[in-house]
Amino acid sequence: MKIQKKLSLLLALSFLLGLSAGGNKVMAADGAESYNYSYWGLTTAAPAAYQANGLWNGESTGAGAFKEPGDFHVTGDKQIYVLDSGHNRIVVLDEKLQPVQTIRSFARDGKEETFNNPQGLFVTDSKELVVADTGNKRIVQLDRNNKLVKVIDAPKSDLLSEKFDFQPVRVVVDKAQRIYVMSAGVYDGFMEFSPDGTFTSFVGANRVSFNPTDYLWKMLSTKAQRSQMVMFTPTEFTNLDIDQEGFIYATNGQDSGNVKKLNAQGNDILRRNGYFAPEGDIRYMSATGPSRLIDIDVGDSEMYSILDGKRGRVFTYDGDGHLLYVFGGLGNQMGQFNTPVAIERLGDEFLVLDKALGEITVFETTEYGRTLNEAVRAYYNGDENKAYELYQETISMNANLEFAYAGIGKALLRQGDYREAMKYFKKSMDQKGYSKAFLLYRKEVLREYFPGIMTGMVLLIICWFGVGKYRKRRGGKKVAFIKQRAV
Amino acid sequence: MPSLSRELYKYPLYLIFHPFNGFWELKYERSRKLNLIISFSILFLLIVMKITQTQYSGFVVRIVYPDSINSFMECLYVVVPVLFWCIANWSLTTLMDGEGKFVDIFTSTCFALVPLLIIQLPWIGLSNLISLEEASFYHFFNSVSVMWCAYLLFVGNMTVQQYSPSKTIGTILLTVAAMAFMAFLCLLFFSLIQQMVAFVQVIHQEIVLRR
Repeated sequence: MKIQKKLSLLLALSFLLGLSAGGNKVMAADGAESYNYSYWGLTTAAPAAYQANGLWNGESTGAGAFKEPGDFHVTGDKQIYVLDSGHNRIVVLDEKLQPVQTIRSFARDGKEETFNNPQGLFVTDSKELVVADTGNKRIVQLDRNNKLVKVIDAPKSDLLSEKFDFQPVRVVVDKAQRIYVMSAGVYDGFMEFSPDGTFTSFVGANRVSFNPTDYLWKMLSTKAQRSQMVMFTPTEFTNLDIDQEGFIYATNGQDSGNVKKLNAQGNDILRRNGYFAPEGDIRYMSATGPSRLIDIDVGDSEMYSILDGKRGRVFTYDGDGHLLYVFGGLGNQMGQFNTPVAIERLGDEFLVLDKALGEITVFETTEYGRTLNEAVRAYYNGDENKAYELYQETISMNANLEFAYAGIGKALLRQGDYREAMKYFKKSMDQKGYSKAFLLYRKEVLREYFPGIMTGMVLLIICWFGVGKYRKRRGGKKVAFIKQRAV
Repeated sequence: MPSLSRELYKYPLYLIFHPFNGFWELKYERSRKLNLIISFSILFLLIVMKITQTQYSGFVVRIVYPDSINSFMECLYVVVPVLFWCIANWSLTTLMDGEGKFVDIFTSTCFALVPLLIIQLPWIGLSNLISLEEASFYHFFNSVSVMWCAYLLFVGNMTVQQYSPSKTIGTILLTVAAMAFMAFLCLLFFSLIQQMVAFVQVIHQEIVLRR
């Protein structure tokens, strides 16, 4: 009897606890929750910037069910090219996700050829389609009328070993029609092909990273043992995208330094001026580990988004590396995924492709997301007054968005209100900005009070001498300190 | 007889500029009571300085997580190292033919901390008036104060214990090792006590719930 009573009490208590925990949750105005990271590395509540408002699978678009789609691409005129890898076809949808056409084969030398488990595709501005035909170990390029332009087979080069296995999985094309290929099992970076399809070089190899203890063991072991061990090899890239200016944005499987922006020489030129380097989640349980980035998408104004395959979240950063917003997740609800593989922007909307379910989730901006996007754009375009207003608006919706204060500070600095600018820079923990504003403010104050300060100093000096003279004349005893020592 | 208040600030200032004479007098010529009064005031001022430093340092030199500011802990950060140093040093030097009594060691240590006070205290205010580029001056002067303080500790130890310079350096290194050892023992002690308390607590809970 007694035990039962206790049990029921315990149940009631735990229920109460659960309730109170639920009640404490910080909710944004629209009921959706999101987060951001503060300067101190703490998770702070943020309103949702994006909201799922559509879920499409092959049947609902009218193109027939997708089977393990591996990649998709959105063109400048908002056509969506979905690579239906399991069915070896490419489905082209319009911006309302209605089918436009399906590409299953192409004619090569009069013969009909098909794809075999293709994994990546890219569509150029002139709407030429480039497909990484992984199963056939080749790259296929078709023009806008689906006529074959060229096929790139496994390249032969001094840079490549005899046993080199060409398994293209992702592909991008720059403005000069050079093709960059990410090939599985290649550690030397991306393979660059000239417009005529010959292999030129590797770009942007990742650096070798290893664990010190492994290194110690390797040092201590014999040559025979060493040959049995795993080699220290650079990590492979996991995905890539190209921006309007031709810079390649890439992700790799490392724990940190996993986002890169490569210039033509293959150097990493990504700005990492945010509170933390762009690498997805910075707070995570050690059991699950850091984010595993599997896709990257570059938008306008240097904004880019990365997809964390481990937790299914999409992180968006601005060009300076500030985390703007996070959305998505793994689960069964709308706006959550099972096995996300690719993200793309459709205007201001986001599309996320789920491989196992063969679904595309469409995310739409909330008012908060819209304002923030516009603010970042205005700031990027140098329109500081507009940025100032938009950032103010953003902050009124999310006071925790620390970097936005620096945006306001910079606008105020330009307007000449140094004291206010200092306040805002302080709020965003921006020492550089603060220092700049402070120097100007100090100059201003000193200029204003210069006469007063100088007069005061001169008066002080005169007084000093006067008192000294007076004391001397009085013969006042100025006994040296040494003589006063108590014995 | 010079006035007490004058002595309170003049003597430490004399000592830091003339350490050899100063520490000699500290040990053999000065009244112990006055020395102790000055030492405790130095410690108190150091605590005040530490607290003001976390609270009022300029934004360009120091960003403190507001939740981590704890004046009580600041007190401990000053008192505990000084106490550890004195106890460790005293324990070692009594075994190594040092001539210093515990009071001598304590007062000489406190007096050696004066440069920290007279350099870092004004820089708290000044750090609010500098830019990021000028912050190197702040860091430079802070390091100077620390080095000066270390030099005074060295001279103080040498004079108070009547050691040769090399023996002093050896003792100081050993003292640091002893401090680490003491810290370890303290941690051990506290964690053991904690376990014991938890053990008793669990037994109590068990008895109460069994009834």
